[in-house]
Amino acid sequence: MTVADPGAQVSGSVGSGERSPSVGSAPLLAARKLTRSYRLGASVVPALRDLSIEILEGEFVAIQGPSGSGKTTLLNLLGLLDRPDGGTLHVGGEDVHALSENARSDLRRDRFGFVFQTFNLIPVLSARENVAYPMALAGVPADRQRQRSEELLAAVGLSEKSGVRPDLLSGGQRQRVAIARALANSPAVVLADEPTANLDSVTAEEILDLMRDLNTGRGVAFLFATHDPRVVSRAKRVVSLQDGRTVSDERRP
Amino acid sequence: MSALFLAARNLLRQRRRSILLGAVVAFGFAAFALAGGFIAQTFEALKEGTIRSVGHIQVVDRRALKGAEETTLEHGLVSATRARTIAAGVPGVDAVLPRIEFVGLATNGARSVPYLGVGVDPQPEAAATAVRELVVAGTYLQADGLDGVVLGTGLASSLGVKTGQSVTLLATTPDGSLNAVDAVVVGLADVRIKELNDRYLVGGVGLIWRLLQSPEVVSKLVVFLEPNADEAIVARRLTESLNAAGYPVATRNWRELAVFYGQVKLLYVGIFGFVGGVLVVIVILAAAIVMTMAVTERTREIGTLRALGTRPAAVRRMFLAEALLIALAGCAAGALVALAARAVLNASGIILPPPPGATHGMPINVRLYPLAYAAGLLAMVGTMTAAAYFPARRAARVPIVEALSHV
Repeated sequence: MTVADPGAQVSGSVGSGERSPSVGSAPLLAARKLTRSYRLGASVVPALRDLSIEILEGEFVAIQGPSGSGKTTLLNLLGLLDRPDGGTLHVGGEDVHALSENARSDLRRDRFGFVFQTFNLIPVLSARENVAYPMALAGVPADRQRQRSEELLAAVGLSEKSGVRPDLLSGGQRQRVAIARALANSPAVVLADEPTANLDSVTAEEILDLMRDLNTGRGVAFLFATHDPRVVSRAKRVVSLQDGRTVSDERRP
Repeated sequence: MSALFLAARNLLRQRRRSILLGAVVAFGFAAFALAGGFIAQTFEALKEGTIRSVGHIQVVDRRALKGAEETTLEHGLVSATRARTIAAGVPGVDAVLPRIEFVGLATNGARSVPYLGVGVDPQPEAAATAVRELVVAGTYLQADGLDGVVLGTGLASSLGVKTGQSVTLLATTPDGSLNAVDAVVVGLADVRIKELNDRYLVGGVGLIWRLLQSPEVVSKLVVFLEPNADEAIVARRLTESLNAAGYPVATRNWRELAVFYGQVKLLYVGIFGFVGGVLVVIVILAAAIVMTMAVTERTREIGTLRALGTRPAAVRRMFLAEALLIALAGCAAGALVALAARAVLNASGIILPPPPGATHGMPINVRLYPLAYAAGLLAMVGTMTAAAYFPARRAARVPIVEALSHV
């Protein structure tokens, strides 16, 4: 397993790229017949039923559907945060089924970025330290961590807040820090679960524009689980789920 | 960004809780350090008292090791003065005291009372032991060759005699006949062990030799060593020197003689061990509660760390590092508390009751006992680590999705 190169050239501009801005053909993620059920009291509730999906490099994908349709479950499985009951998942062509917990951790660190609805920043770390954390996990030298964190914070418009703790930042600023953190190790794909749900409409628009720019500028694939029509309207591909199954998969020009 | 770095930040975030847990550790550490110093002082006093009573080494005839005497001085050392001179010449020997142990009857003319007698060389005996401190009336034996005796206050009371009055001592000589001498009570001693106090009698070896009709025979030679002398080496040299001079002797050190010392030591270790155990349990419970609370409160954060690629072991290390930091900080604070408490106690002049077997109370003097500080540090670090281990393991094992959705 190789460590993503956070040392790749980054400038303060969102538009400068680390990956090809065009959508590639090799699947980053390939899920086949994923199933996942949860126990709810005495009953077992299926969340995903034989769901198959492929995510390609540089895609900007919205997964939509009503509550309980399986959006978050799918994101958790694709991001190696959870294990499926059945089916297979390949990340970058590698079957992750037999990977140890440590190997899955390393794969998450190197290949994925995560953006959460509730931001999930580490409260005891400053904005810059939050961004640097995944790089520290990957063993990036401290001076390089600092430099890249500052560059990423500049890219999301938060240069002035690098030393500020999350509790002193607004919701929008926290989500920007979370996005910068998600990009720290130059991931292949960023998984975002309802990233605009806790933001006001103006901030939500800004955040979505930022992510769109990062997608086109850096070639990072984004995969959203969302109810938000603003996200859907910006997506190049919209996957609709219902009752744990794909009901439509629409690519837009 | 090491586990220690994150741990330190988290401890500072929960400042009040960290201080409280640190205070528990500090209290535990200070208790260890102070109790250790106190125990060291007690053992030292007990050891010193024991040695002042029985000497470092006792030289006896080999037969004395095989069984009790059936007749007076049956196993005695003959030509005692020569043997004493030889023993005193062994390197490392500070003083050699003759002792004659015997039993007999003391009478005031109207009443007879049995006694346990000891014959001593008064001046060296008084110089090397604490016997003079026991005298509560009159004086201790002034010099050998006189007819003075010191009685236990209980024995004197039974006989109805006071200092300056005469008593007649009766005893069986080694050949089985009965002999008597007159003696003058020069002093009364409070031995503080009632049974002994009621029977205690000490006289000069000259008087006792006359009484027992056995000049130059003693029960044993009690040897005191110079500071830093090696007990085993001196014992071996004593045996060799005396054997070479024709004395069939054996030696016993103070530990073999003072079974009481070992028993008291065990008793103290048991008591303080129990108290220490209770202390450790209290610290473990406090730490386990605090660490469990920390893990529960930070479950979502743990989920985030895991999602970002933190390995389970690193999460576990982070919580263990928090416990370690609190333990170290608590021990540092505890050391300061212990030093301050020690200074206050030692300046207080409090007199402690005498330990078992001792005759006098001693002023409290908590020693600075580095081993107790080291043991306290080890105990607290071990305790905190043990207390944090299971919460830390739970944190490392919590499913990521479950942790992220934790409210």
